[in-house]
Amino acid sequence: MTPPLQHGTFPLQRWRMLLKRFGWALFTILFVVVLNFFLFRVLPGDPARQGIRDPRLTPETIQAIRVRFGLDKPIINCFESLNPVKVGSCGVNPLDTQFFIYVKNLLKGDLGQSFYYNRPVKDILGERLWNTILLIGAGQILAILIGVVFGLFAAWKARTAIDYAALISGLVAWSLPTFWLAIILLFWGTNHGLPIGGKATPGMSSYPFMQQMGDLLQHLFLPTLAYTIIYMGEYMLIMRSSLLDVLAEDYILAAKAKGLSAFQILKDHALKNSMLPLVTLIAINLGFTVGGAVQIETVFSWPGLGGAIFEAVGRKDYPLLQGGFLLIAISVILANFIADLTYSYLDPRVQAD
Amino acid sequence: MNLTPIVNKTNSQVSVFWKSLRRNPMGLVGLAMLIAILAVAVFAPLIAPVHTAEITSKDIYNAPNSTHWLGTDDAGNDVLANFILGSRVSLIVGFFAAFISIVIGGLIGIIAGFYGGRVENTLMRITDIMLVIPDLPLMVVIIALTKPSLFNIIFVIGIFGWTTTARVVRSQTLAVKSRKFVLRARAIGAGNMHIIRHHILPLVLPILVVQAVLTVSSAILNESTLSFLGLGDPTAPSWGQMLNFAFSRGAMSTGAWWALVVPGFGIVWVVLGLTLFGQGLEQVLNPRLDTHHLMPGRPVVQSETAQLPSSEKILLDVRNLSINYINDDKAPARAVENVSFTLKEGELIGLVGESGCGKTTLMLALLRLLPAAGQIVNGKVFFNGKDLTALNEDEINAVRWKEISIVFQGAMNALNPVRTVGDQIAEAIIKHMPGFPHDLRLQERVVELLELVGIAADHKDHYPHQYSGGMRQRAMIAMALACNPQVIIADEPTTALDVMIQAQILELLDSLRKKLGLAIIFVTHDLGVVAEMCDHVLVMYGGVTAEYADVDTIYNEARHPYTQELLKAFPDLTKPKKKLSSIPGYPPRLDALPAGCRFAPRCPRVYARCHTEQPILYKLSDNHIASCHLLEASK
Repeated sequence: MTPPLQHGTFPLQRWRMLLKRFGWALFTILFVVVLNFFLFRVLPGDPARQGIRDPRLTPETIQAIRVRFGLDKPIINCFESLNPVKVGSCGVNPLDTQFFIYVKNLLKGDLGQSFYYNRPVKDILGERLWNTILLIGAGQILAILIGVVFGLFAAWKARTAIDYAALISGLVAWSLPTFWLAIILLFWGTNHGLPIGGKATPGMSSYPFMQQMGDLLQHLFLPTLAYTIIYMGEYMLIMRSSLLDVLAEDYILAAKAKGLSAFQILKDHALKNSMLPLVTLIAINLGFTVGGAVQIETVFSWPGLGGAIFEAVGRKDYPLLQGGFLLIAISVILANFIADLTYSYLDPRVQAD
Repeated sequence: MNLTPIVNKTNSQVSVFWKSLRRNPMGLVGLAMLIAILAVAVFAPLIAPVHTAEITSKDIYNAPNSTHWLGTDDAGNDVLANFILGSRVSLIVGFFAAFISIVIGGLIGIIAGFYGGRVENTLMRITDIMLVIPDLPLMVVIIALTKPSLFNIIFVIGIFGWTTTARVVRSQTLAVKSRKFVLRARAIGAGNMHIIRHHILPLVLPILVVQAVLTVSSAILNESTLSFLGLGDPTAPSWGQMLNFAFSRGAMSTGAWWALVVPGFGIVWVVLGLTLFGQGLEQVLNPRLDTHHLMPGRPVVQSETAQLPSSEKILLDVRNLSINYINDDKAPARAVENVSFTLKEGELIGLVGESGCGKTTLMLALLRLLPAAGQIVNGKVFFNGKDLTALNEDEINAVRWKEISIVFQGAMNALNPVRTVGDQIAEAIIKHMPGFPHDLRLQERVVELLELVGIAADHKDHYPHQYSGGMRQRAMIAMALACNPQVIIADEPTTALDVMIQAQILELLDSLRKKLGLAIIFVTHDLGVVAEMCDHVLVMYGGVTAEYADVDTIYNEARHPYTQELLKAFPDLTKPKKKLSSIPGYPPRLDALPAGCRFAPRCPRVYARCHTEQPILYKLSDNHIASCHLLEASK
């Protein structure tokens, strides 16, 4: 009648679910890796191949370029090029194809050489990844905190002025284009003595640590504010509607019948339950929030991954673009996986599905 | 086929829809905003100001003035003219991209929901993967590698914008698929395409419309973002591109706020209009009562203080209690009217009636737990001589559970799913017994309570979903006993359980009553259930007292036709050949109560007077009252 209970230990079912989720994350990463490979070969625009079409080049030079970028090798086994009709030799060593060399390099952490910086893409992105994590991390935490608190009040005081004000401001925040809000904040900030962008004032590195930190916070302030406003609205709306559902549940009536005060009911019976949909939303949202980071980093010249992508587009720095996209996608997939785990930890009902 | 009624039906649906939209301020404001911007876009060439004067370097970033109402941009062009012409690009991209997204998302959602199985699994996995991959960077990559033409932009935004629609449509299709008429259509051999087109699509369509509105807004946001990042079609300047030019060509440093604010304002206007309209549509199509258990209740209407109960032994004395449900648009619904009863120490009273007769409303009112719309409009509830209707929130909180506790109907929903059962029992003790030690002794007490209702100690730290139905109900009883209350209200505690478990729960309640000296109010729709245990029975119908007497009188000398009919539905072992019958029809709806006796429409002994005049309560003996015109003579 009752399901088998193993207490005190981590249930087997949960391990299985964990493994399954991890498998899916890996599969998605693999998909992105393949997509990333073919995207840059199917679509026109890669300078290496555009160069090949230049009529001024001699066949020798073309061949040299092809060898330099590894384009002389077949795409994958049996296919010389992306033309599926033109079947090539299947006798090629599969490890000596463009795709496997790409995968092999990836596994070694080699993302190629940036055209613009003439440095390994890996090094450039490595520096910038942390800046993005700093920005998104600070923004997300603030947005979640404020969104949850406001959503909580809106739902608790449903159908009052507080609720309507929260609802309207949430919808307005949701409708703001991220980059535009960033521009407006930057415009306002520069007129009020805040730095115009970047991560640090030039020459700051020679100052004492505390002063450097203060400078960093000053630079971080506006981008974080923009980020927080944009995502706060959505978290608030979700929290509000989720809490409205929870507060209409019978167990809330039961808690009220127990004589608990409104505060105790919210804290002990409603908060955790209504946070669950929010965790899912945060996970799903990560893909979108990176989009927000691209815009905010662009406006504030914040040296992060999103800014790197934007610059790479303008400079036609394709290796950097390719590497940047891959790193962003993989980070999001992994963060999503972690959010999934958090959810299963928070909700005792989650079992292997 | 007859076409007219269908046309009428659609007409009335449209008019109902329009009526409710008209009462939705959010949707209306959104709609008005959209109509305004659509008008601007449609008439753009007519209303955009034309400046024929040659542009010189003096025209760059001019502040708003009489010739250029909204100033000029980095190239000396009129910002207002560009703004008006740019609206077309934003809207065209938004609508066409959303169209692609909605077609893809709708198809995937319907196919996945309708066919299920492996098809559904595969499609939803693809959707999940799409959802995880960051879409803006991917769009940037694709457009950067191809030509940023209007067509490419529409295509790319459309291709990546369908995931939410697919998910929403799938769950709606799943819900619709199992409805009766679809199953019926399938049973008479209708083909899949026929079912989808004629049965599924009409019910999925409203949700698709809402999704379409929201998708247009996100498509417009995406277009403006791509344009701002320099990936817009150079031949079709949109608001995003205006911002790109202004931002990258010195509007910030020259302080030309108009070149930055105006195009952004356009985007916010459209997106906010679409969002408000979409939210409004959603509320109209899928109305939801934003009410919950923590909303402030309506104040009790204080009636004249009646005499305090004379008998020392009376625990609970309910006098002439009336409860209304207040509805802003309609007259209040009289859910409970003029109900009185008493409960003595250790007594078990049965509160009997069909569903919808006001039993639960009455019970919730005793502890002032009515939903926000409910209001006590008359009467008093005395508990140990204390008037519960006059207490403030803190005072009533001290009575709740400590003195009177409730075993709720459907324990699955009354237990918090994310807290262990033991924890929820302990919570009541901590709240009401501040002196109780918080350590091992508390855990021992929880175990003791669980064992009292026959649950083994090792289930203490389990979650409700790990319990069986019967165990949950027992746990609920254990929780109700936690603070040694004097009264327990058992609100249909056995409804959802099978017969064996029902009997166990009843036996348990009865034995606890004897062991602990509890007084119990047992709410049920089944007279048979209470026959053995009750001392008194209160039969309610349509919110009023039908009959109230001790149990022997009810079973042997019932005078109200409703009680008599209920008894006929109850098998009698001493007369095995007696025919069982049930009462045809349903209790009256609270918003459409009959003018006379509330039982008149279903009463086998009805006569003319019953339809016009509500019967009073007749006192037949000290222990027996009933409300029926037939009793007037016997009084």
